[in-house]
Amino acid sequence: MFANLSRRQALQTVSAGFGFLAFSGLTTAAAGRAGAAETSSGSRNPLSTRPPHFPARAKHVIFLCMQGGPSHVDTFDYKPELTRDHGKRARYGGTLLASPWAFRQRGESGLWISDLFPEVAKHADQLCLIRSMQCDQPVHPGAMTQMHTGTAQFIRPSLGAWTLYGLGTENDSLPGFVSLSPPAGSQRNYGSAFLPAIYGGTKVGRGGRAARFAADAGPPVPDIQNPRLSKSQQRRQLDFIQSLNQDKLQRESVHPGIEGVIESYELAFRMQDAMPELMDMSGESRETLAMYGADGGATENFGKQCLLARRFVEAGVRFVEVTHGNWDQHANLSRDHQARAEACDRPIAALLADLQQRDLLKDTLVIWGGEFGRTPAAQNGDGRNHNNKGYTTWMAGGGVKGGFSYGATDEHGFEAVEDKCHIHDWHATILHLLGLDHKRLTYQYAGRDFRLTDVYGNVIEQIMA
Amino acid sequence: MTMRLSLATAALFVAGSVLADSPDPDAVAFFETKIRPVLVNECYSCHSNETGNARGGLRLDTRQLTRIGGSSGPAVVPGQPEESLLYTAITHQDFVMPPKRKLAPEVIADFRRWIETGAVDPRETEVIEIKATIGPEDIRTARETFWAYQPPAAPKLPEVRSPAWPTTEIDRFVLARLESAGMQPSADAAAAPLLRRLFFDLVGLPPTPRQLTAFESQYRSDPQQAVEDVVAYLLRQPQYGERWGRHWLDVVRYAESTGREVNMTYPHAWRYRDYVIDSFNADKPFDRFVQEQIAGDLLPAADDAQWAEQLIGTTFLALGPKNVNEQNRVQFAADLVDEQIDTTTRVFLGTSVACARCHDHKFDAIPQADYYAMAGIFGSMNTYFGNPPSSYGSFRGAQTRRNSSLLLLPVEDERPVGQRYTAAEIRAMRQQMEELQEEAAAARRNRAAGDNQSIRNFLRLQNQLAQLSAKLAVVDEQGRPRSYCMGVQEADQVEDARVLIRGEIDQPGQRVARGVPQVLATRPLEIDEDSSGRLELARWIGSDRNPLTARVMVNRIWQSMMGRALVTTTDNFGASGAEPTHPELLDYLADRFVQSGWSVKQIVADIASSRIYRASTEFDPDNHRQDPDNELLWRAHPRRLGAESIRDAMLQVSGELDLRRPAASVVAQAGYVRVRDGVLGDPREQLREQAEQIRAQAMAEARSRLARQTPAARFRSRGSTDMRSLRQEIQREVAQRLQRLAQSTRDSLQMTDAKYRSVYLPIVRDQQPRSLDVFDFADPNAVVGTRESSSTSNQALYMMNNPFVIQQSERFAARLLAEASDPEQRVELAFQLAFARSPSDGELAAALRLVNDFSTSTESPRAWSVLCQSLFAAAEFRYLD
Repeated sequence: MFANLSRRQALQTVSAGFGFLAFSGLTTAAAGRAGAAETSSGSRNPLSTRPPHFPARAKHVIFLCMQGGPSHVDTFDYKPELTRDHGKRARYGGTLLASPWAFRQRGESGLWISDLFPEVAKHADQLCLIRSMQCDQPVHPGAMTQMHTGTAQFIRPSLGAWTLYGLGTENDSLPGFVSLSPPAGSQRNYGSAFLPAIYGGTKVGRGGRAARFAADAGPPVPDIQNPRLSKSQQRRQLDFIQSLNQDKLQRESVHPGIEGVIESYELAFRMQDAMPELMDMSGESRETLAMYGADGGATENFGKQCLLARRFVEAGVRFVEVTHGNWDQHANLSRDHQARAEACDRPIAALLADLQQRDLLKDTLVIWGGEFGRTPAAQNGDGRNHNNKGYTTWMAGGGVKGGFSYGATDEHGFEAVEDKCHIHDWHATILHLLGLDHKRLTYQYAGRDFRLTDVYGNVIEQIMA
Repeated sequence: MTMRLSLATAALFVAGSVLADSPDPDAVAFFETKIRPVLVNECYSCHSNETGNARGGLRLDTRQLTRIGGSSGPAVVPGQPEESLLYTAITHQDFVMPPKRKLAPEVIADFRRWIETGAVDPRETEVIEIKATIGPEDIRTARETFWAYQPPAAPKLPEVRSPAWPTTEIDRFVLARLESAGMQPSADAAAAPLLRRLFFDLVGLPPTPRQLTAFESQYRSDPQQAVEDVVAYLLRQPQYGERWGRHWLDVVRYAESTGREVNMTYPHAWRYRDYVIDSFNADKPFDRFVQEQIAGDLLPAADDAQWAEQLIGTTFLALGPKNVNEQNRVQFAADLVDEQIDTTTRVFLGTSVACARCHDHKFDAIPQADYYAMAGIFGSMNTYFGNPPSSYGSFRGAQTRRNSSLLLLPVEDERPVGQRYTAAEIRAMRQQMEELQEEAAAARRNRAAGDNQSIRNFLRLQNQLAQLSAKLAVVDEQGRPRSYCMGVQEADQVEDARVLIRGEIDQPGQRVARGVPQVLATRPLEIDEDSSGRLELARWIGSDRNPLTARVMVNRIWQSMMGRALVTTTDNFGASGAEPTHPELLDYLADRFVQSGWSVKQIVADIASSRIYRASTEFDPDNHRQDPDNELLWRAHPRRLGAESIRDAMLQVSGELDLRRPAASVVAQAGYVRVRDGVLGDPREQLREQAEQIRAQAMAEARSRLARQTPAARFRSRGSTDMRSLRQEIQREVAQRLQRLAQSTRDSLQMTDAKYRSVYLPIVRDQQPRSLDVFDFADPNAVVGTRESSSTSNQALYMMNNPFVIQQSERFAARLLAEASDPEQRVELAFQLAFARSPSDGELAAALRLVNDFSTSTESPRAWSVLCQSLFAAAEFRYLD
């Protein structure tokens, strides 16, 4: 009876409630118990792997989210004319500020990258720079939300939620979309909005400021461990719970909600082992920890997170987001941008190298970027303002061209002028790399079909390897 | 039915002129002689269209742009020189303007006078008239043909083939649809599941075993009477308002903080929560309830108590999410009005008018001008959501740029709510305030000179001043808290709003007369020239003069009772929303609602005593094949309980539930503070203060340890290695203590020890308690008419491992041990309490085996608590059959 249902219809929140679709064994249950003859092929577990629309170049995503707006003209967008015109009046107001950091050509590709990212620069030949980014929002919350959901105006599903909805996940003991230590109050940026809640990002670890005082305090996932029962005792208890659930299911013939509960307990039970195991990095070699800078110093926090990201991807998790905050230098650019970069340069380089050496990079799309860039003109002397008209993000692995640069800003880096890549185009391209057609990945809500890119978005074919 | 509008592909912009109000000629002359020349000579080179410069986003060459200002905020706020950045810049307070020099004192005085007297400025931005793509013909067609815009009329009762089945008129409508589809409703549910359904639906709590026994016998002899008696009983319980009020709080995005980046508390939002609960308990006529929330401040009141109640009703308009860190005052005001229009129209009218903020509505016949007609009404009002000024004035924190006052209630609380201070404390606070002000003045002067240290100092002082002033402001001279509420008041001036091109504040178009969406009203709303129109709007929305209010509310009630709404898009009755599954039934209920004097209890009772409400959830493969979503109600929808019911049921079953209403809210106790990392107040500030103490303490301890050492050891200690290791030890010690501290301060909003009903838990935006959040609590950042109902592993983890659940399981076990002596009786009692039924033989045996596996003694509280937790965790506990 479900043979003709589209994926979307099958996942629709219908009268029976979300349980109807969540983990619903309706294929088997309905066939066996309700006597329904026709069943569709494939599982109805909403997290089970689903084929992409077309062959995928990437299977996993690690999104390195640079909150605050790192300056493109000081990192990945080389503007010699900005140096030449330093101190001159900018066309659009203000005084031009040359980058305090030197740019050099890197790798065989000769990509220009500044000395802010010396370690990442060593991987230049794997980087695909998009130097013509644009978004519609000039302020942090709005731009951050648009980068994640396509719009700042409404509560919409996040890029990771759409990905999980489209593809499912490979590890049934772990959530399929993980957001590592997201900033407090940023739920909507990794939320599922109107998509079923199971597609929302699972927050792992705590962001926010208190966490900085106590990086290891408290469990990374709430209620992940039982404070009083041993594993086998808990299994014993769970068997009893499940027998009650099974009995009830027996009485009701078909009850998708109860089937959902049964499945959720099994995943949770497995997560109790899988999550702490995954979070426990004691098995990583000293060399690995050192490579990520996870063994101390300024790189410790972000190094650990990058290492965790690799471990999640290795374990089959579909989408992992890692946030590195505080790039918002309206003043003290030369000091604070330096500090921010130092904390993440080595970890990111290590992540790329580690993925490469484990042969994971070809299937993993690594994305780096902030919600916008910064102006070439100075603010407060040694600072730069927000700039959403032109900035740089980059990708690596996952089927993109390495050592490649796409698009360009004007001579000072104020505005994208060549091959503009709006955030909608960026989303369309990411989905495309994952084998998903952004126009076909839709979900019906409140009477109409929604998609990540709304009515916009062009796939940038040129960056594909 | 889908409505099609003849939409042109692009909006047409036609330049035209609009007559400005003619200002006082003397004031214009003053501007022309004293102000304009200075602006032209001193400012335009960097801040005007002519020169193409808009430094800091600021243009000073038209009145509108001057008032809107640049990235730092409005350049001119009429009447308020100190709020006007233009003035504070030329006086070298916030900026140094013109750069590097100061205007002559008499010129500065002219500017002050100009701003104080209203900043009359004839320089109009060229106004563009926006032409609508939705014409009068489109609006008329929609009004005459679209189902939701037809006034609901009492429909004829349909004929049914099985006249014995219906017990109410509602049943006739449902049965007729089923029969025409060749289906029959399922059999009546058994007494226990039905009673459970009635209890959870009406009061949000499970029935007790005694209540079940009584009901079972009566249900056998006279089911209809048995149900009606229970319904009448439950409708009298105060728990009814707590359950139904909570649904309303979902819809109106109730929360006790602003949310967003800088999450400031709303210490008085709880009054609205209690107001809503009390209104449902009193069965306040819904039309009245609606009017109070939109214009309670303007409705006549018999006495102060009623006036206070109505003022609290208007909190509805004030408690939306806000970006209090918004730099631009005009933008903030526009966003505030937008949020109010959006919420008001979706909550009461099921219509999303806010879609027309930037362009004509894409689906409904609502031109952009209709949005601005409402914006004129809401824009002519002041919203009070922040904290009142103290006797020292109004202070803003560095990141709370947008503040507002509160409304002083005409009736004081009997027991004041919030922090109270002794006279000595007040004196000390006042002294500190004065010292801080002096310091701040100095820092402000140095800051203007660009000294970095001073900038940081100034920001810190600004925050301290704001915090202290906020505390002083809400208490009287004796340090006793005053009684405030959030809400709205009319503005001094009533003004039509201008259409904004693409919704952008610096792109004004023509003015639009205040009013309501044309498609919803056959005649325009009559608004006096000097009235904002809000009272008229309230009386129009809270009435049957519009086609939607009654329909939208009975649809919400139906959903809460039946698990699926008649119009599944509960907040969108427009063309992009769903159509009703039972249009006649919807109209019948709407008409009945109005005829009953807008009694919510009447509609609840009608539905609860219907035959269809009593139907079982029994599955039928044939019916399922034909109607997989159960739209026609061939059975009752199996439903998962809401988050509050799950928590409250655990507390009731364990015997711990405290049914008393707690005073106010922990948010009210904390006062006006920023919420971060689940902590009321600044954890950094708190941690920083305590970190200093810890550091000093650790240092002192280490020193005394060093002092106690023998001279020889001390001699060795002088070696630099030992000193270094001592320092490291201190650092480690400090880090450990800080860690413990951080752990204890976080999660203070989780309220794991609270035993009162969940509706009274603090609802801080983005920091909702986990017990609610994990079971799909409504996100208070949005209007939520329908909650999700998910099954996630997170819920499973919560039920298996959460300390609150375990604690409640232990109480539940203690209760079993106390109330029954025989193990079998205990299992029986446990099942009765948790599931309202006896265990089957198999379940009984399995339960006893479980207990036995955990302890050889039948008296082990731990073993029994494992069983009790299992019952909480089982699907049956959180599902209604």
